[in-house]
Amino acid sequence: MNVFVKSLGVLALLTLSSLANAFDLQQLSDQLAKPDVIHGQFIQEKHLRALPQPLISKGSFVLAKNHGLLWLLKTPLQQDYRISAKGIARRDVNGWQLLPGKSAGAEQNRLFLAVLQGDSSGLQRDFELALSGDAQQWHLTLTPRSVLLKQVFNQINITGGTLVNTIELLETQGDSTVLRMQDSTADQPLSDAEQHDFAE
Amino acid sequence: MTLPSERRLPWLFLILLLAVVVLGAWQWRDGAPLSANLMELVPGTHPDAVEQRAEQRMQDPLNREMLVLVGHTDRQQAVAMAQTLGEQWQASGLFEKVQWNLQADLPALRTQLLQGRLAMLSADDRQLLIEHPDAFIQQRVQALFDPFTGFSLVPSQDDWLGLTGRIQNSQPQHGAVQLDIGSGALIADADGKSWVLLRARTTGNAFDMSLPLQVATLLQHSREQAAKSDVQLLAASGLLYAANGQQQATREMTWVGGGATVGILLLLLLAFRRWRVLLAFIPVLVGMLFGAVACVALFGHMHVMTLVLGSSLIGVAVDYPLHYLSKSWSLKPWRSWPALRLTVSGLTLSLITSAIGYLALAWTPFPALTQIAVFSAAGLLGAYLSAVCLLPALLSGVELRPAQWPLRLAERMVNLRETLLEHVRTPILFALLIAFCAGGLVQLQSKNDIRQWVGAPQHLTDEAQAIARITGYQPTSQFFLVRAENQEQLLERQAALSERLEQLVNLDKLQGFLALNQLVSPPSQQQQVREALNKLPQFWQPLLEVGVPLAALQTELTQLQSLPAEDIDAALVGPLGEPYRTLWLGPTQGGVAAMVSLQGLNNPALLRVQALDLPGVELVDRLGDLNRVFAETQISAAELKLASCVLIVLVLILPFGLGGALRIVSLPLLAALCSLASLGWLGQPLTLFSLFGLLLVTAISVDYAILMREQVGGAAVSLLGTLLAALTTWLSFGLLAVSSTPAVSNFGLSVSLGLAFSFMLAPWAGRHAHAATVAEPAA
Repeated sequence: MNVFVKSLGVLALLTLSSLANAFDLQQLSDQLAKPDVIHGQFIQEKHLRALPQPLISKGSFVLAKNHGLLWLLKTPLQQDYRISAKGIARRDVNGWQLLPGKSAGAEQNRLFLAVLQGDSSGLQRDFELALSGDAQQWHLTLTPRSVLLKQVFNQINITGGTLVNTIELLETQGDSTVLRMQDSTADQPLSDAEQHDFAE
Repeated sequence: MTLPSERRLPWLFLILLLAVVVLGAWQWRDGAPLSANLMELVPGTHPDAVEQRAEQRMQDPLNREMLVLVGHTDRQQAVAMAQTLGEQWQASGLFEKVQWNLQADLPALRTQLLQGRLAMLSADDRQLLIEHPDAFIQQRVQALFDPFTGFSLVPSQDDWLGLTGRIQNSQPQHGAVQLDIGSGALIADADGKSWVLLRARTTGNAFDMSLPLQVATLLQHSREQAAKSDVQLLAASGLLYAANGQQQATREMTWVGGGATVGILLLLLLAFRRWRVLLAFIPVLVGMLFGAVACVALFGHMHVMTLVLGSSLIGVAVDYPLHYLSKSWSLKPWRSWPALRLTVSGLTLSLITSAIGYLALAWTPFPALTQIAVFSAAGLLGAYLSAVCLLPALLSGVELRPAQWPLRLAERMVNLRETLLEHVRTPILFALLIAFCAGGLVQLQSKNDIRQWVGAPQHLTDEAQAIARITGYQPTSQFFLVRAENQEQLLERQAALSERLEQLVNLDKLQGFLALNQLVSPPSQQQQVREALNKLPQFWQPLLEVGVPLAALQTELTQLQSLPAEDIDAALVGPLGEPYRTLWLGPTQGGVAAMVSLQGLNNPALLRVQALDLPGVELVDRLGDLNRVFAETQISAAELKLASCVLIVLVLILPFGLGGALRIVSLPLLAALCSLASLGWLGQPLTLFSLFGLLLVTAISVDYAILMREQVGGAAVSLLGTLLAALTTWLSFGLLAVSSTPAVSNFGLSVSLGLAFSFMLAPWAGRHAHAATVAEPAA
């Protein structure tokens, strides 16, 4: 049950959603659907109730429309992840290692990619979507509908402009995770190395 | 002329009949006391109470649960249909529980994971913690930052060391089925479709008479409903087999019973040309009634298979009236009571010998055959009584003028035989027959399999196989039973077995298994984890570096140290214990016992080897055991056959002398031998059921030999009587041969063959000197 992947799925869903509103979900999805490739930096803050300071990790990511996601963690430790049609992979000294299908995230990953490929009905049924703001500054709230999801987290908040800026996950246990996407740009195509990473 | 006793007899019999009818009505007061439980029909292979309890546990889900896959190319449509069907089924009242999604009780799950951090840690994780604590800590640090390792149910602050996450991930996966997080549905993807798992547990089990049919009907409706939305349903359940078995039994009973009835009535009409001769069918009806009542009275219920096989009694029961009806060819004019007086001794002998033959079946270790024996013996008695007491009164005014063509036919057959014997002497014929037998017996192959008892239709087995392939669930009736003095020893023994089974899984010889030691480790190993945790502070620096407070780690360690050792009962209480609960048999006389369940079709020999030199471990393979019992029973069946022959000889010595009795009995035996040979020539296997059939033939066809030997009214009349008797019997047994249950059809075939040979051999019974034949005074 990976909420993070889930929220990424929501993002992707937005690119396909056809709901109508003032600044409506359709417009938001059109807006987010434009770029083929997004490069950016991320900061992940894990706020745990018991810790005075959040656990902070940093790195960069590449979201490519037809390939998937590269998530490159730099600090405090270095670790590369990839989500593609094949599943979740982690890079070690021998190259990309596909995590076994039994890992709990596999199903969410599949869902995420299903959404990327246009299967949006799953998330629409699982979440109440509420959008406010305008194209330059919008705020999207996702509230889980299903009993199972409600036991895991309360809400997902996503903010952005042209691209997504932050994703916030509020867990029922009181912990929360904030992902800040910084310096996101849709200007660069995939580099050879990135293409290679997706292809391998 | 009617004797005074013959005036009272019908009334006495009617009183008895009334009593039986009342008893029967009372037995059926709560509906038909019928059963379709296959397991009731097969012999118990072991008296061990623990093993029996284990077996019941394993059987229960097969008989009460239905597994359905709801498949569509679009996942959401599949889920939606599963939900719709689930709600409809729940509302149907047939099911105790219908489940299409997982309503996980997360708080309870969290509590169990936290409580079980020492006890539930898998062997691999335990080893890592004990041998490589540095790697253990390193992996934990990674996991804290890894957004993709999957969501942990327990928040990090309650489990800094990540033990709960490890436990969560080490739980055995259930085949290819995955949880769909949004809907909570369990879904497997295969053949380009998403298959949503729908599980239903019925209120009763597969052996209730009405339930399986209701479930099968509901499923059929659901299939049609789903098909409208292009959704495909695959279903597997013991209930469906039971429903199919019932429908098939009903169908076959109609065919066999109806066919035999129509055939026999037609034969009666053609031969005797009087409508009232149809009254000869009364003994048949009375026989069925007596059989059913006796069966329910003795066993509390009657199995549907008894009914199917018992419907063949029609042909035997009608032989009694035929005995004296056929006297109408020699007795002119024919009157019922005098004709009866002439034949009553033969009838009585026939009843005794047939009953001996049937009751011999009762001594086999097969409850099925015991039931059939009781049903048939009681049925014969009923038929005999009504034929002797009631029927003559009903036919008293009738003067029979039978058609002459059957007699001419019989005469021609007698002449033909005489002519044949002139050219080829009996010893030569006998030698030829022996050659035929030897040739056939050489080709005879024995085959015994419990599957012969079930006519499993292809579409049901196909669907069950498809479900096994898609989900990876393939429950099997084989399992290991592990016994020990106490829980600790039990878990250790299971661990030893698991280690071996794990190797089989790696070799692809076994699909999977489930054992209690996968859920909880023995106290000694829990202690090892505790000790390893004590050394952890030397290695947890990396955790401190990423910001986990030292105090938090120390508090957690103290908590872990104070966790009590968890036993099997405690581990089973939580939600994670659910799949394991059926495995735990708890305290037994000598200690404790638990099962290890298996997945996939497995080689029993290979499994049996796994239990070698593991004390307290045994493989329970009920089907394998049964098949072995089948083979062993073949031998005892042959012995029974001989014993019943000896008994019949003893009975026959009185009227026929030793020589005559031996001759009369040797003919059916020879007929049985010929049938065996024919099976060989036909390429049909010899099964336990063919043997039982032949056992029966001996009993029935002794009758023909007696009839031929007595020769009341001449050789042709006797042959005609035998022919009629054989034809009616064959009509009912022969029709069994068309049954789609291999066991029943095999039975029918061997009886048919036996009857044919008995008829052919009957004339060799010789001629009995009728010194005391009562000259029939005119009525």
